[in-house]
Amino acid sequence: MSSLFDTLSVMILLSSFVLMANKRIKSYIKTFRIQSMLIALAAGILGIQSVMEEGRIDVLVICFIIVVLKVIYIPKLMNKTYSSVEYKVEKDFIWNIPALVLACCALVVFTYFSISTIDGINEGFNNIQIVNSVSVILIGLFFMISRKKAIGQIIGFLVLENGIFITAMFSTNGMPFIVDMGIFIDMLTAVMIMGVMVFQISDKFDTINIDKLNKLKG
Amino acid sequence: MSYIVYIIIQILTMVLIAPLVNGIIIKVKAFSQKRTGPPILQMYFDLYKLIRKSTVVSDVSSWVYKAAPYEVFSTALAAALLVPVSTMITPPDSIPGDFIILVSIFALGRFFMMAAGLDTGSTFGGMGSSREAMISSLAEPSILVCLFTAGLISGSTSLDRMMVFMQGAGTPLIHPVAILLLLALLSIIMMETARIPVDDPSTHLELTMIHEAMLLEYSGRHLALMEYGAAIKQLVFMTLLLNLLIPHDQFIAMAGVGAVLLSLLIYLLKVILLAVLIALIEINTVKFRLFSIPNLAALSFILSFLAFLQYFLLGGSYV
Amino acid sequence: MGFLLLAIPLIAVLLFSLMKKRLFLHAVSITASGLIMMIAVRITKDVIDYGKVEYAHYGGFFYLDSLSIIVLDIIFLIGFFVAVYSVQYLEEDVRRGKLDFKKVRLYYILMHLFLFTMILALTVKNMGIMWIAIEATTLASAFLVGFYNDRYALEAAWKYIIICSVGIAVAMLGIIFLHLSSIGVLESTELLSWTALMENAKGLKTGTARLAFIFILVGFGTKAGLAPMHTWLPDAHSQAPAPISALLSGVLLNSAMYGIIRMAAVVNKNLGSSIYTGRLLIAMGMLSIVTAAVFILTQKDYKRLLAYSSIEHMGVIAVAMGFFTPLSILGGLLHMINHSLTKSMLFLCSGSVLQKYETKHIFKTKGVLKLLPLSGTAFLLGLFAIAGTPPFSVFVSEFGIMMSIFEAGSYLIGAALAILFVIIFAGIAIALFRIFYGGNEVSGLEPGENNIPGALIILTLIVIIGVTGLRMPESIIGLIYEAQSIISGV
Repeated sequence: MSSLFDTLSVMILLSSFVLMANKRIKSYIKTFRIQSMLIALAAGILGIQSVMEEGRIDVLVICFIIVVLKVIYIPKLMNKTYSSVEYKVEKDFIWNIPALVLACCALVVFTYFSISTIDGINEGFNNIQIVNSVSVILIGLFFMISRKKAIGQIIGFLVLENGIFITAMFSTNGMPFIVDMGIFIDMLTAVMIMGVMVFQISDKFDTINIDKLNKLKG
Repeated sequence: MSYIVYIIIQILTMVLIAPLVNGIIIKVKAFSQKRTGPPILQMYFDLYKLIRKSTVVSDVSSWVYKAAPYEVFSTALAAALLVPVSTMITPPDSIPGDFIILVSIFALGRFFMMAAGLDTGSTFGGMGSSREAMISSLAEPSILVCLFTAGLISGSTSLDRMMVFMQGAGTPLIHPVAILLLLALLSIIMMETARIPVDDPSTHLELTMIHEAMLLEYSGRHLALMEYGAAIKQLVFMTLLLNLLIPHDQFIAMAGVGAVLLSLLIYLLKVILLAVLIALIEINTVKFRLFSIPNLAALSFILSFLAFLQYFLLGGSYV
Repeated sequence: MGFLLLAIPLIAVLLFSLMKKRLFLHAVSITASGLIMMIAVRITKDVIDYGKVEYAHYGGFFYLDSLSIIVLDIIFLIGFFVAVYSVQYLEEDVRRGKLDFKKVRLYYILMHLFLFTMILALTVKNMGIMWIAIEATTLASAFLVGFYNDRYALEAAWKYIIICSVGIAVAMLGIIFLHLSSIGVLESTELLSWTALMENAKGLKTGTARLAFIFILVGFGTKAGLAPMHTWLPDAHSQAPAPISALLSGVLLNSAMYGIIRMAAVVNKNLGSSIYTGRLLIAMGMLSIVTAAVFILTQKDYKRLLAYSSIEHMGVIAVAMGFFTPLSILGGLLHMINHSLTKSMLFLCSGSVLQKYETKHIFKTKGVLKLLPLSGTAFLLGLFAIAGTPPFSVFVSEFGIMMSIFEAGSYLIGAALAILFVIIFAGIAIALFRIFYGGNEVSGLEPGENNIPGALIILTLIVIIGVTGLRMPESIIGLIYEAQSIISGV
């Protein structure tokens, strides 16, 4: 059973690499959707396991919420935002795509070396799952940095949140229920606010290129 | 089995099955377009036809042009010897040569193909050679890391030892390292054998050709040897993927000639299925722009590097 | 009764959405903040008498001790002052046509939601719920920062929400690691509860706890404006409307700092010595002060100047908490109070100046003393106060912190701090000369205060910071001593 979680964590890491190698905004949203489905699958299996062993249904409820929010609602919201701005494909990045993907490799190696030097973190669960999950967090952050369009930054933030959630899932079998609910509500509101702001930016600046937001300096 | 028997069976199998793969792929693509397409054995007829025709050699070319087809074909055959189609026919001590030799042999063949493309002095040949150089230099790190990981897992660099170990490990394809290696090898096959999304094998527009551009000037038996060499190379890669990651010999409980025949039959079945899979991938993708191919190569390198890394994360065990 | 503190802002938000006239909006706002002030007085007295206030309802999540009540009282006080100031400020903007009724209602709803989330962050003992509340403060104030909806405000709001959301997500990772380090040590009803963590601090897994501290420091430090995560602060604080800037600078930064202090207390108790957290806090604090000093010298926008000064003072508090001696913790807590009062007063003054001159540029606002006698004088005195001049209160706390640094033996850091304070004073003085002298070229602006209640608030504040600089009431000093002993874990 734990090998199933290993494979799932590897697939989730792979999906964040695929996200990095993409250029089209619609593919960002699609890849995010696939990643969320994988996470929901992991949460679902954990939930079923915890129901059979301990009789708690909160992990299953969380799995259900993930499906509703991250697989259905948020991609729909992003698609609506995306259809109102005119940029469909990103043309420039800070480096070219193979260099970005190699940098993500370096991030995974870095995570591996950092986490393995911390004592006390290996008891009770697998090294591979936590290294993969923390790598997803770092790759999400790097994705935010490397994209110049505002929608890319929102997707990067969502991948960051995915990574944090999956770290919590794999390492502690879920945070206390109320904390998980709070995380979801916060994330949903954050994405809605960011979506509204992208509308306003596109309206005022006639572009969603973040490089143009450079008037406030010093 | 002794060396001689191994060499005979191996060469015969590879030489006989290689054109079949191309035929299956073309047939599946034709079906997807609601055509009947050429018969599956068409490539055999084509090769026979080409061998009987005379060759036309340009008088500005040198010995490289005439030597290249033989070079390509012989390196393909030599590589075919290193990757056994079934571990039941391998000699008791391992085959001399490991995966580094395999990659180098392919590089030798590729070098001669590129040189021959330049040799005739035509623009399309030179263009094809330079593109081939770019793509192969991007694809080689990927295949080296991939095979290196497989070697690390099985504790040996010889390919048949690797295959024997994979049979014994007995893990289904659900293992993370196996999945990553599978995806990496699949993308390497796409790049090395000039399939969509890297290079369309059925194109007739010279500006979009990569592999075909280098063969543009050849005719007669030279062309037959080049095409045959490419087909054998493709089969070698497919055998690598199939026998390393989806081994079948551990299920055969008998011994003797019957077991060998059964093993070869299952191998043929696996090859046909993989050919259909490759055809499906070709149908569902489009050819990438030339400067987007580094993206694909980077992704392929990532897959193999991740497989390498995940193997360490699992504590260096493959169960 | 403590639950009323949480309920009143929510009821006010509900009432706001039902009102139809601006007058009612203003009335509800002032009533709500006034009521909260009165309850606050009562609850503070309870905390002084009994040491802490805890209710067992709803799973016992409500919890107030001396540390929480200090920061909370600042929120209530400044919230009330800002509510009174906002009335005339918004009316003036409506008169000039910049806002309409819907915008004013949005302002009040968001402001009270903002206050609610900050009160929530400070009245819980579950670190997870505290995290949720601090994330919610970002969300509630995002549209407040972009309130005026022009290009600059939108840019500031986007930066604010992206940087702070990423920071808070990093803090979430820290809370996960904190949870991880306490598995097996705490029972399942007390997970992530601060009091339980302090009790069992020795039993936490050290490696994971240290990792958790780093993530929480970086995460909450982003919200608190510590360098190098401070880049959103000058933009957000200068583009938001002035009363909101006062709330952001005076109150929100404190709440984020509070989170860091709670975490540092747990980790220090676990490690047995404060060297690990101290090094990190002092490094980030000094970096913040240096960054602020460099940028203050070349500022051309007075609201950005005030924002950089906030970064500097948060750095000072971080350095104080880094040293972790009793005197430095006392100095740090006192500095929290003094900085909040002074900075809010300064931002309210700058709001009056902005409304009169309609520009934020230092070179264009000349002769403030003639045109705005009360606010101008307060602005002048306030700028001196924030730079650390006696007899104002910021001087007392800065002096105390310096003394504790020298007592702890770090002469190098103490000397560097002294030099930096001098540089910052010079920078503020340069800006002062530009704003307050000259005045013959300014025409077309009539002298006189537009915002009479606001001016009275400013007057009150300046009297407070003057008086507390000379002598602090006994009960407050007692509270601070209590809080210090809670943090030190004895």
